Amino acid sequence: MNAKHSEAAARFIQNRALEEWHNETLFLVRKKRDSQAITLPEWEQLRQLASQIKMHTITHLDKYLEQFALRAEANGAIVHWAKDAREHNEIIHALLRERQVGKLVKSKSMLTEECHLNPYLISKGIEVVESDLGERILQLMNKPPSHIVMPAIHIKRQEVGKLFEEKLHTEKGNSHPDYLAHAARLHLRNEFLTAAAALTGANFGVAATGDVVVCTNEGNADMGTSFPKLHIVSMGIEKVTPDYQALSVFIRLLARSATGQPATAYTSHYRKPRKGCEMHIILVDNGRSDIIGNPDHIQALKCIRCAACMNTCPVYRRSGGYSYTYFIPGPIGINLGMLKSPGEYAGNVSACSLCYSCNNVCPAQIDLADQIYKWRQQLDSLGKADRTKKLISGGLKYIFTRPGLYNTALRLAPIINKSPRFLIYNNLDAWGKGRELPAFAKESFTQMWKKGKIKQHP
Amino acid sequence: MPHATFGLFVPCYVNALYPEAGVATWRLLEYLGVDADYPTGQTCCGQPMANAGFEREAVPLVKQFHSLFARYDFIITPSASCAVFVKEHLEEMNGRLYEICEYLHDVAKVETLPGKFAHKVSIHNSCHGVRKLRLSSASERMEPHYSKLKKLLYMVEGIEVVEPANADECCGFGGMFSIEEPAVSVCMGHDKLKNHLATGAQYITGADSSCLMHLQGIARREKMPARFIHIAQILAAGL
Amino acid sequence: MSTKNDILSNIRRHTGQTYDMPVIEPAAIQYPDAVARFAEVIKSVGGSAIELQEGEDINERIISLYPEAATIASNLPGIRIATINPDEVETPHQLNGTALAVVQGEVGVAENGCVWIPQNVKEKAVYFIAEYLIILLDKNKIVSNMHEAYRKIRFNDNGFGVFISGPSKTADIEQALVVGAHGAKGVVVLLTT
Repeated sequence: MNAKHSEAAARFIQNRALEEWHNETLFLVRKKRDSQAITLPEWEQLRQLASQIKMHTITHLDKYLEQFALRAEANGAIVHWAKDAREHNEIIHALLRERQVGKLVKSKSMLTEECHLNPYLISKGIEVVESDLGERILQLMNKPPSHIVMPAIHIKRQEVGKLFEEKLHTEKGNSHPDYLAHAARLHLRNEFLTAAAALTGANFGVAATGDVVVCTNEGNADMGTSFPKLHIVSMGIEKVTPDYQALSVFIRLLARSATGQPATAYTSHYRKPRKGCEMHIILVDNGRSDIIGNPDHIQALKCIRCAACMNTCPVYRRSGGYSYTYFIPGPIGINLGMLKSPGEYAGNVSACSLCYSCNNVCPAQIDLADQIYKWRQQLDSLGKADRTKKLISGGLKYIFTRPGLYNTALRLAPIINKSPRFLIYNNLDAWGKGRELPAFAKESFTQMWKKGKIKQHP
Repeated sequence: MPHATFGLFVPCYVNALYPEAGVATWRLLEYLGVDADYPTGQTCCGQPMANAGFEREAVPLVKQFHSLFARYDFIITPSASCAVFVKEHLEEMNGRLYEICEYLHDVAKVETLPGKFAHKVSIHNSCHGVRKLRLSSASERMEPHYSKLKKLLYMVEGIEVVEPANADECCGFGGMFSIEEPAVSVCMGHDKLKNHLATGAQYITGADSSCLMHLQGIARREKMPARFIHIAQILAAGL
Repeated sequence: MSTKNDILSNIRRHTGQTYDMPVIEPAAIQYPDAVARFAEVIKSVGGSAIELQEGEDINERIISLYPEAATIASNLPGIRIATINPDEVETPHQLNGTALAVVQGEVGVAENGCVWIPQNVKEKAVYFIAEYLIILLDKNKIVSNMHEAYRKIRFNDNGFGVFISGPSKTADIEQALVVGAHGAKGVVVLLTT
């Protein structure tokens, strides 16, 4: 499979009203991020520190993971290690089965999305309830998230209204967000009180203390973990951070970068299981340890999943999350998808104009655009290069390495009034879809120079 | 540097489509007392192929560039993105190769320009100009606001300079991106044009003709009343 | 154990160039009036900070803020108006229906309106399940930024703590801000001395 982002994006843009709303709404989030960042004179210094802390941690990951696991176990948690998605899912299923858990309530976790946990557990007969409002909406619609922080950003309120009428028996035709969110509060309150286990992700794991840190605005992770006897944490191994001083840097950056808030409403530290309860932490590799050995892409491991790169990306904003084939869209998703399976996700690599805005907003200074540039250099050897582009590039090289031919073409172009195909990249169809061709100058600069016209003033 | 030698690098599409930007660059150098040479064997720096994923196709062009331009003390070009590409692929060009505005502002440190351009112009900040060459502050970075382009433009008499909303958002050209992702590319360009036109400016100007070419193509197709001019042409007014 | 070893050895095998830990001493923001800034930020995130006046009775103040709160949960000795003691419930579920909880915060953070609350009740549910939340905080315990806060926070034996910054909220429907997603619909920080 090599579905092309460009084709899915074209379909998204056909609904111009939704595209404009999506674009403008996410850019507002980017601007909210700016207005938060500017309140801190040390902002750029924090980004630098975040990057340095991450590079240090990633390149001493064995030490920090062992320290984290040791601390967490000393605190009374049980630590599991999972090499891949299958092991992760099986560990969770075993924990639930052994305790005869019928219903699991979840807070948002991109890692469980990565591992396809929900369908796996459902196939084993376990009821899985997403508790983040956006995730719950999508779960009831049977759709995947289109953004990693605002998962239902592509869904309109009327669709939610209709969905809730059917599933939660809300009033007909009422799609006011206040009303719908309140209905969800009541519905999910009941789920929190009746679930036998809670699963959360982890924004950070602190090696020095064994804390699992979870940031939410809704308080759903906290509600979820307040009632059942079992709390399961799914945590990617790159989430470990050395100590509180390192953590403080990330906490200052995360919410400001993600949603333009000074902090999430809740920054929760889970250090020990609740009295008489269990806390299990699953440390998941699933390809991460391989990335450490990839100098071109190691920086992808610095990601703290804030989605600032999506909100600023002019391509993501105008094409929507579903036009990317990897479950994480946008600049970081292009890179993570390629790291997961280049054959499968190469169709996303075109979704970048190399504007470098993502590099500048990333709170961990990931070289996102540079990495996309590097992936492009590999597409041909993967057999995934766009044929047209390949032909054009070959043709361009042919003509550009032959200055005589090039100059002849330049001289002839305006005369034969035929497009200089090599200059407009030979794919007139694609260029001409929404643009006129540029007009040729009567004389090229080279011709003028040769005739001595440049030095001679008119 | 009285005996410094200068080579003029006129990127391929400027050469063929917008030679007036090259002419203006040469005139600006002449105004500074520089007699710039133009090696006629030059074609393209290789950027379009490399950004498309064919860096190896670009290698011979980078070599060709080197053999043509290595002999000059300074190489000046009217294109921010080509300047960036060459500098990133030929390390020795750092400190020698300059985009014309960068050269005027940082090296020649011009304080005045003789020309007059009594129009309202909207600056098109190109991505490579802003985020690579640092011709202006980037909106994502928390740094003091500056714009070398604006500063230079204000040296021209009679000019009014404005910037569009979202002043450094990408216009969607992106080289081969414009061909591989035409729908998004045109959508981005359309939005950019709308923002430029909303300023009420009579001209859209910038340091990258490639962005302007893309916007011009959309403006013509959609019959939007936009006029484009390379920034060197404004700065060289009257020269 | 073998999975753990596999992962760790794969990490070691792949680790090439290593990087040092930076010195984490950013020129972090300091507010000349941290209390005022704290109040300002709390307001911007949908909560409020109110200074208890000298001689003012805390219970009366709470009643004046939430005159209709029928069930008030608190284990704090000075809160006479409490109707439920969250230390005495058998299960956290019994806290469902709490109108107002009054809890103790330990560190306030001016830059983001956060208040650190180490779990000092039997069931942490009380912090999240109440419709409205009042956090008592000594205003001398407000610091400027998170670096300072993380040097000050302490846990007790319950092993849970949370920074709360304003009420629970969501913008998951069309980015329209709705206050009161799952947790408190309103948060008041009562500043004491």
